[in-house]
Amino acid sequence: MSLRAILLAVVAAAALLATEADAATVAGAAVGDGATRTPKGVTHTIVIDGSRFEPASLTVARGDRIVWMNKDPFPHTATAAGVFDSGPIAAGRSWTYVARSAGSHAYLCTLHPNMKGTLAVR
Amino acid sequence: MDRKFAGLAGAASLALSLALSGAFAQGTASNGPNDAQIAHIVVTANQVDIDAGKLAETKGSTSEVKAFGKQMVTDHSGVNKQASDLAAKLKVTPEDNPTSQSLKSGGADNVKKLSTLSGGAFDKAYVDHEVAYHEQVLDAIDKTLIPSAKNAELKALIVKVRPAFVGHLEHAKMLQKSLKG
Repeated sequence: MSLRAILLAVVAAAALLATEADAATVAGAAVGDGATRTPKGVTHTIVIDGSRFEPASLTVARGDRIVWMNKDPFPHTATAAGVFDSGPIAAGRSWTYVARSAGSHAYLCTLHPNMKGTLAVR
Repeated sequence: MDRKFAGLAGAASLALSLALSGAFAQGTASNGPNDAQIAHIVVTANQVDIDAGKLAETKGSTSEVKAFGKQMVTDHSGVNKQASDLAAKLKVTPEDNPTSQSLKSGGADNVKKLSTLSGGAFDKAYVDHEVAYHEQVLDAIDKTLIPSAKNAELKALIVKVRPAFVGHLEHAKMLQKSLKG
């Protein structure tokens, strides 16, 4: 009986600590974002149509959102090895990536390797 | 042994390209197929590759060959749905023609041959055929289908799917290289 009470107390304390830690992280991130730039990054759209990335070259800032929208009647991918990989984006669907690592990233569609693009992240 | 095999493979691929160029050897832009025939050729060319792809999905011996077969089924089915939708919209009834018939019988021969093979031999025969087939289809798109198409939307559809076929060819060539290595 008393052992159970102790266990419950420990679990409750752990849960409380975890909640506080999460709250602190979220608050910290929000403050940091607000202090350095606009609260949310810009959203850019790359249209996949006729098995081409349009625009084929795009420059974004870190934290920006890039949406690849597939208008073809079959799947494509947007893949920069080791940086990002959409996996198959079905016909009519889109995939969103938040730019994290700075640099010029060449990417392609692994299903149609003639489809190439470049995402430059400042 | 290797040399003999290479000779046989060379003869087989020569025979294949002759058969395929025969299939597409229908006239120039001036006396080429009409739009109803072009619609039929597009649908048939896709269907032939769907049939081979279905076989590769199950009979391919590596995950790459199976995945490529599956992709061919998905991609060419997507193109065919678009082509059929456009034909319906334009009120064009696809019209059978010698090119379609030749494509169809060539496809049936390929499936028949592939059905007798397994393992690495299946992979090689399937991928070699995919390379040759996409090369010939691209040639037909450039020399016959695009120049002959009268309806702007039909022409635009063929122009729009062309890069995907280039992608299939490159992908198939990469597979071909990896199978040799």
